[in-house]
Amino acid sequence: MVKVCVPRDSSALSLGADEVAAAIAVEAVRRGAAVRVVRTSSRGLFWLEPLVEVETPAGRIGFGPVDAADVPGLFAAGFLGGGEHALGVGPVAEIPFLKRQERLTFARAGVTEPTSLVDYEAHGGLRGLRRALSMAPAAVVEEVVASGLRGRGGAAFPTGIKWRTVAAAEAPRKYVAVNADEGDSGTYSDRMVMEGDPFVLLEGMAIAGYATGASHGYVYVRSEYPHAIAALEEALAVLRAAGWYGADIQGSGFGFDAEVRVGAGAYICGEETAMLESIEGRRGMVRFKPPLPAIKGLFGMPTVVNNVVSLASVPVILDRGARFYADFGLGSSRGTLPIQLAGNVRRAGLVEKAFGVTLRELVEEYGGGTRSGRPLRALQVGGPLGAYFDSSLLDLPLDYEALARHRGMVGHGGIVVFDDTVDMAAQARYAMEFCAVESCGKCTPCRIGSTRAQELIDRILRGEDAPANHAQLLKLCDVMESASLCALGGMAPWPVLSALRYFPGDFGLPPATEAARVV
Amino acid sequence: MKEAVLPKPLRRPEAPQYPAYDTAQVAAVLARWADTSGNLLPILHDIQRALGHVPPGAVGQIARALNRSRAEVHGVITFYHDFRQAPAGRHVLKLCQAESCQAMGSRQLTAEVEALLGCRLGETTADGAVTLEPVYCLGNCACSPAAMLDGRVLGRVTRAKLERLLDAVGRG
Amino acid sequence: MWSELRALRDEIDYGTPPRDGAPVTLTIDGVAVTVPAGSSVMLAAAEARRAVPKLCATDMLEAFGSCRVCLVEIEGRRGYPASCTTPVEPGMAVRTRSDRLQALRAGVMELYLSDFPAADIPGGWSELHEVIQATGVAQHPYGRGENHLDAPVDESNPYFLFDPAKCIVCSRCVRACEEVQGTFALTIEGRGFASKVAASQGQPFLDSECVSCGACVQACPTQSLVEKSLFVGGYRRADSP
Repeated sequence: MVKVCVPRDSSALSLGADEVAAAIAVEAVRRGAAVRVVRTSSRGLFWLEPLVEVETPAGRIGFGPVDAADVPGLFAAGFLGGGEHALGVGPVAEIPFLKRQERLTFARAGVTEPTSLVDYEAHGGLRGLRRALSMAPAAVVEEVVASGLRGRGGAAFPTGIKWRTVAAAEAPRKYVAVNADEGDSGTYSDRMVMEGDPFVLLEGMAIAGYATGASHGYVYVRSEYPHAIAALEEALAVLRAAGWYGADIQGSGFGFDAEVRVGAGAYICGEETAMLESIEGRRGMVRFKPPLPAIKGLFGMPTVVNNVVSLASVPVILDRGARFYADFGLGSSRGTLPIQLAGNVRRAGLVEKAFGVTLRELVEEYGGGTRSGRPLRALQVGGPLGAYFDSSLLDLPLDYEALARHRGMVGHGGIVVFDDTVDMAAQARYAMEFCAVESCGKCTPCRIGSTRAQELIDRILRGEDAPANHAQLLKLCDVMESASLCALGGMAPWPVLSALRYFPGDFGLPPATEAARVV
Repeated sequence: MKEAVLPKPLRRPEAPQYPAYDTAQVAAVLARWADTSGNLLPILHDIQRALGHVPPGAVGQIARALNRSRAEVHGVITFYHDFRQAPAGRHVLKLCQAESCQAMGSRQLTAEVEALLGCRLGETTADGAVTLEPVYCLGNCACSPAAMLDGRVLGRVTRAKLERLLDAVGRG
Repeated sequence: MWSELRALRDEIDYGTPPRDGAPVTLTIDGVAVTVPAGSSVMLAAAEARRAVPKLCATDMLEAFGSCRVCLVEIEGRRGYPASCTTPVEPGMAVRTRSDRLQALRAGVMELYLSDFPAADIPGGWSELHEVIQATGVAQHPYGRGENHLDAPVDESNPYFLFDPAKCIVCSRCVRACEEVQGTFALTIEGRGFASKVAASQGQPFLDSECVSCGACVQACPTQSLVEKSLFVGGYRRADSP
């Protein structure tokens, strides 16, 4: 019986993975071949999806991107024995894009069946939770503090410090709320975790609950992720049945359960307080802070709010120790970061690396340049609120400090590549359009400012008193940055200001002086 | 506390006349979530799944069950772009408008699809077959441009591919 | 005790409700002031007679933090926290006036005025007009853009009317309906720029869950919700021909 792996990740499905899996099963029956088609997660090598992997004595041999129509040809070429075929990519583990990575959080990506607990445990799963349950809760918190893990959702707040606050809070009930409202364009690492390795997130949640004294968790997933929602529900049922979720986990006396909550089309609900409002059944309006959610969060109770990747990184920290994790990275950027290459890039996919890799390595060596083959002109790093950079900044390392020095941010680790056909004025206008579409409408700089900024950009582009409108746009961006209630209004100016800084010609404005380029 | 300035209640009208809807289905959804805290979003999702939209007439029924006001429920429905107050076309096509897809030509794709269907983003074709909507990221950014047809995610979308799929669902 | 004492004093709106915590001393523009723990910086500033401009805040309602004209500077803190939502701390040094704060408040006021009837700015009386005076910003540089100036007036209630053109979406009416009256008849419909005050499901006030208590009218800082009796011969917008 030959094991053939076809991903069930939604990107693979969007390219016909279901049809490919079905075609393999049908062709195997037709040929009387003994084949077991297994639906695994994705490696995150998306330019190869649907990537079919055949298990052979020499390891998994890959073929991709496979169309259902290619399947008879693959059988004919003897792909079940790893035979030669035009779509063959050789041993998957040897593909340089993958081989050069440091996969800790994504160790099982593309390897396991997402909701097979047997598979999960066979590949290191549950070791973190087992070890945590053998420790004092406070020691678990300190292990996470020592690892240097910072929130991977965008705000980069130290995860362990947040846990400490919740652990210290006295309350009748505490919660773990997972922010799975991954709305940044160019990012998909949360989705990959939830679809491909949902147990690791749920294991991380249970560890967070144990460490802080929380008994109930919520995973707030955006509605645009139907496969993630289904995988999480399935994984929760499996864990409950196996006694790893529920009233008394493995006889430890610690009880923890969770439920999946589905968003409803609101980017702002990725802001932690708006997310809490939404879980409580209200409009996703941003709350002011203080009080911090760690003190007064969900239903007024102390709440750990963590991003998916942050929590999914916790089991490996507990399993291998804080030191192991902290040894990756540098300075105050510790551990690994799942970077997501997107947009106009030849090899789009997930790159999990220790902090410090440069944008050039990512875009040129991993990404292989633009998909169109045209010259690269701009990068947006860190989502729709992140800065645009031109190609002169490709040697910047991707870490919190280096990007901050250039008025950029790591954000959720997404990099969107644009070729030389991009109109950066249109991109700047879009940043404000997006802010206007997604503003909760609470604070005035964001509610009215985002619409006025679009109007100013339109006037600049029409050449209507461009210098005055440019000056007013800068003033407005300053007001939005300094006076908004949350990061949506506060950072929407970043892509605009960076586009003006590096690409003034696209707005019909004179070239920026060298002084204006250096920030 | 300062004094209220106006005299006392005039009248407290019932909900205005809205088109009839399936009250039994709404009641079943409300019963299913009765014991869950913060249950309004799951309720609205389930009602929309059952009825295709959240009928304005159901707002009173929901409000009564949750001991909240119609205003509160209405505020929530109108905040979230997923919730419809009127039925959509027979098929819903969402085109991603966000940066990664822009980098791979989504602006042009959107224009082409609008021309193909004869309706703009946010509108439904004249025959009621397809509602065309913007979406801001499907997490399929490694396979841009992305789209979603009746809940199914699509990657590396072209006009031709969409036309084929729309024809396959009959556009009707 | 604190709240009772305060009630005996003048009619100042302290911006946020009184608290009864232990005394906390801080400085506002160099002036030492002592207020109960749990009080806002805004309340302390009003106590120190260094009142900060405000629109969404009033001491009959809990702090909300949306209008962003009450920003202050606090020594040792980054950015410009809203004074209404920032609790006092012992030894805190607050600055309520600076060129930077003036620029930010002016920038926010310009945004408000870009969606407010220009004809209603001169000579009007409302809390918004007080802030126009305090900041010296009576016009905006944005020209004509998207706005709510043509939204129809709701005159369905016999006692008060709602002119959405003058609404600044501060939610004071919505919050008064909840916090003061417990009726929950009002909400914000939609989101972002399209946000608007709605009664029940976007109905005329008279057909909604509104009980005509008037708490919303009292809370409104712009006379968007206003008593009809003020307008002899009927309500006319200032800019109507």
